[in-house]
Amino acid sequence: MKNLLRYIIARTFLTIPMVFILLSIVFVVIRVMPGDPVSAMLGGHAPEKVIEQKKEELGLNKPLIVQYGSYLWQICRLDLGNSMIFKQRVIDTIGDKLPATIELTFFGMLITLLVGVPLGAYAADKRRSTQDYSIRLYGIVIYCIPVYWLGLMLQMIFGIWLDIFPIAGRTGARVFVAGFDKTGLYILDTILAGDFAALWDVLIHLVLPSVTLGLTLSGIFIRLTRANMLDVLKSDYILAAEARGIRHHRVVYKHAIMNAFVPILTMMGLQVALLMAGAVLTETTFSWPGMGRLLLERIYLRDYPTIQGVIVIFALIVAAVSLVVDIIYALVDPRVRY
Amino acid sequence: MKSFKLIFVCLLTLGIVFLASNSFARDTLVYGTTEKVTDMDPANAYDFHTWEIFYNIYRGLLGYPPGKTNLVPELAESYKVVDEGKGYVFKLKPGLKFSDGTSFDANAVKWSIDRVMRIKGDPSWLVTDFVERVEVLDKNQVKFVLKNPVAYFPALVATPPYYPVNPNVYPPDKIVQDPSALKGGKLVGLGPYRAAFFKRDQEVALELNPYYVGEKPKNDMVIIRYFADATTMRLALEKGELDFAFKSFNPSDISDLQKMSNIKTIKGQGPYIRYVCFQNNTEPFTNKIVRQGVAAAINRPDIIKKVFLGQNEPLYSMVPMGMWTHTDNFKEVFGDGNIEKSKELLAQAGFNETNKLKFDFWYTPSHYGDTEVDMAAVLKEQFEATGVMEVSVKSAEWATYKNNWKNQLMPVYLLGWYPDYIDPDNYTAAFAGTAGSRGNGIYFSDPTWDAMFVEEQKTPDESAREAIFKKIQQMWTDEVPTAPIFQGSLYLFAQKDIDGIMISPTLQFIYAPIEKMK
Repeated sequence: MKNLLRYIIARTFLTIPMVFILLSIVFVVIRVMPGDPVSAMLGGHAPEKVIEQKKEELGLNKPLIVQYGSYLWQICRLDLGNSMIFKQRVIDTIGDKLPATIELTFFGMLITLLVGVPLGAYAADKRRSTQDYSIRLYGIVIYCIPVYWLGLMLQMIFGIWLDIFPIAGRTGARVFVAGFDKTGLYILDTILAGDFAALWDVLIHLVLPSVTLGLTLSGIFIRLTRANMLDVLKSDYILAAEARGIRHHRVVYKHAIMNAFVPILTMMGLQVALLMAGAVLTETTFSWPGMGRLLLERIYLRDYPTIQGVIVIFALIVAAVSLVVDIIYALVDPRVRY
Repeated sequence: MKSFKLIFVCLLTLGIVFLASNSFARDTLVYGTTEKVTDMDPANAYDFHTWEIFYNIYRGLLGYPPGKTNLVPELAESYKVVDEGKGYVFKLKPGLKFSDGTSFDANAVKWSIDRVMRIKGDPSWLVTDFVERVEVLDKNQVKFVLKNPVAYFPALVATPPYYPVNPNVYPPDKIVQDPSALKGGKLVGLGPYRAAFFKRDQEVALELNPYYVGEKPKNDMVIIRYFADATTMRLALEKGELDFAFKSFNPSDISDLQKMSNIKTIKGQGPYIRYVCFQNNTEPFTNKIVRQGVAAAINRPDIIKKVFLGQNEPLYSMVPMGMWTHTDNFKEVFGDGNIEKSKELLAQAGFNETNKLKFDFWYTPSHYGDTEVDMAAVLKEQFEATGVMEVSVKSAEWATYKNNWKNQLMPVYLLGWYPDYIDPDNYTAAFAGTAGSRGNGIYFSDPTWDAMFVEEQKTPDESAREAIFKKIQQMWTDEVPTAPIFQGSLYLFAQKDIDGIMISPTLQFIYAPIEKMK
């Protein structure tokens, strides 16, 4: 336990230089891109002197090294700054959008696991059968399908033709969000507000986007689960369990899968980054007001502080999830030592 | 069996609970758009959609009636021009109050304008470039002292930066981003609605303003839902999740929605224009004959048919159709796809089949919608159909595009324009006046033109201004600093039971007359 604690502390401290390196790279990359936020907003309409004055006010005319120093000093004071476009504090903007992305990625991951792991286990169990080949083919195809196209197809089929699920947004057009919006996590907010009609509405709005995001990544988990299961199924203890008369179904889907699951757990931490990336396109398709869409829009507007702030938050989330997964890994498997 | 019945009863109960409606006022309209809302403060918002919301929450001293383009008094009863055009005195309607009982008077107007000048938000130049100071003459009379005479000042006064706000509610030095930050938690002006809820990129809800003095709107609430893309918005409209949707649909969506029997189409003339720009200070486009030659090859109906499925109107002047002083000079002088004329002009400049005019032609792929790449391709085809031009099409996303025109990297490029105020000056001086032209990367400069712009800006004589604008449009076909292509049409789609929608080239979309028929 002492070792684990030391490991956690070390990983936490390592996150700090990681974030600073990432921030520095992003700082330079977005500033060497042509264009600036003031011209992007006002160019062509406001007089030139107004544009130059605004750039002066925002410090955009200062040398890059001076801008970098000011920004690092701001970060040290845990201040992500203000948006150059909307004047809102970056942390407030992120606070508005992050819950939407958390909900989407959480349920997306759930779908990934609920689809990927059982199918992978089944494919391993039915190795070299038609079912195995079909599942593996599905895994490859679903991974190759562009998430935008998949989302659009699900909207068409389930949203329009069958009219089962809504096609956009976090809530229905006639649900008054102001009535329950507290944390931004609408499932939690509606439960706390006791508004079960709104809870139902929020849940059905989550279905298509989280299925889109989740299915796209399920291919990876199918292959990973299948590979791990094949290794585990060859083990002596599996043979021993079957020899003792334990039903095959129970051996595979209770004992083997638990052992095969540990590497999958590690993979989950890495897939959070992919989920965040996938969320950009999914959020656009489903008009989901999350961080991915925010990042895309602010890149177009060259809103430097918001772009940097979003990337910092993404980096922290990936680092935190990886750390949690490693801890769970150590707790689940007593053989793992740090 | 018992457990089955128990489960069934539980599910039924849950179903009843879940399906219980979270209902609004009966006459709530849901409006979809792909536009974005920025800051909910007239001192900083500088985009048409946020201004559209302001048209429904606030009132200006002057304004446009729904669906019309003529200015009428609103908060002001009347105005007069004094000091040879350098002063405008507005007489306010007496007895108006803000929602907390604060009087609306000349002091509130002065306070609001001073606030805009102090905060220096994005649209503040619409005030600070023209207004020297505001004077309170008495409780109901306020005088705007201008830096120079401005003939179109009334059109400026109708824009949101000039809208009076409540001095007891708005912070004097800070921009309001979210209505919940205000005293009372709601954004309320002197208009028929107030903003009850605001969640950026998700929803804005406007409810009736109980303190509004005027005709009561025909609905109780308008909820604006924001969509990331037009296709999703179209699908939401088809499903009935939206009562109406406006800005911006793809041409294929417009075409499909027009054919649907359960969806109503409302079409209007838009104020936005699209045009080809030349970098007038870069060879060979320093030669006006070359610019004329390129302009002659443009075939507007062909572009509108192929790219926009016939949904826009060809434009033959930088001053749009429907605007006072508009003429069709480019049609008279060049026509459309006039290959012979194009070849003849370019031959005068030394270009022919063996010595082609070669240039880079730029567009920006997403700022004006997904049709840009197609429009650029069709124009390339038209230019090269002359046999004397060779065109390389290039693109850059918006921020880079602007940087490119500032750094004079784009000899020929596409641009679009939405007006800041409704006057021909905003469609001409911005491209052919020396300062405006430089700001848009066109770099056209001629002292005669500048003198004409100064003259039309300062003279209050409408007939004199009209003569100047007609002359400028005629001269445009000679110098061709830019070549107009088309004027956009506005398309709004609504469910069949929605009535009272009026759209106009001023883009002042007023929600009050809209109702759901029983």
